[in-house]
Amino acid sequence: MTELRFHRDVYKGTAIDEATKVFARFATFETTEAPEHWVVRLTAKSAARERQIVGELGNYALGLTIKASGGAR
Amino acid sequence: MTSTLEGIPGELAGVDLGQSAVTLTADASIYPLEALYGAAYIFIDRCYVFIDRPETTRYRVVLSTKKPGADEAALRALAGEFANELLSCAWRHQITQENRATIEAVTTQALSGAMGPPSLDELAAFDFTEEPFEDPLGIAMSWEDKYKKKPKAEEQDATTTAPSSGAEAAPSSTPTGGEGKNP
Repeated sequence: MTELRFHRDVYKGTAIDEATKVFARFATFETTEAPEHWVVRLTAKSAARERQIVGELGNYALGLTIKASGGAR
Repeated sequence: MTSTLEGIPGELAGVDLGQSAVTLTADASIYPLEALYGAAYIFIDRCYVFIDRPETTRYRVVLSTKKPGADEAALRALAGEFANELLSCAWRHQITQENRATIEAVTTQALSGAMGPPSLDELAAFDFTEEPFEDPLGIAMSWEDKYKKKPKAEEQDATTTAPSSGAEAAPSSTPTGGEGKNP
């Protein structure tokens, strides 16, 4: 299991939610909230696959956040 | 295990060969979040980008290669390219902020021009009482106002009071063409 902590000042909560939905068929996700972070715990079939999903999930959430903030122009 | 990169201060960058990742620290007062977004967006097709904010004064960026097993030279190059891109994005962001008023004014003018001519209601509500511009030298006076035909009484007074100055008075009537010949 890997725990990811996305800072609320950097990532939008809606972006995290959408990203976990997109990758839901590749791993199991559990999302919780901390005072300053969105916390995502994910479990995949193997460590290598988990590393890939962690990275792709982070990129996807960051891309959605940038798109929502109007930065991707 | 994190180790320092050659040529880069340890508090600014570190490399983790086991995770095939490099960590950069950016001062929030120098690099705004928009600049981090800009640089990260360019790199998300090449590597995994993760941004954190451990303190309010600084950001931490973790770049991991998509394929594990990258050597230190590759990670150092990745960190250097990202730092250059980050600096470029920060500079562009600052220029945009400084020129924001000009950009907004030009955009507003373009949009108002694209809206077409004003309607009759807008023209009826327009305030025309204000003088369009000041003209202290009288340059904007029309030809008709400047060389308009004087009343006959004034012309007669001019000829009786100054008979010797007829030649001097002639130029004032020349623009209308031959007025001086009339009685």
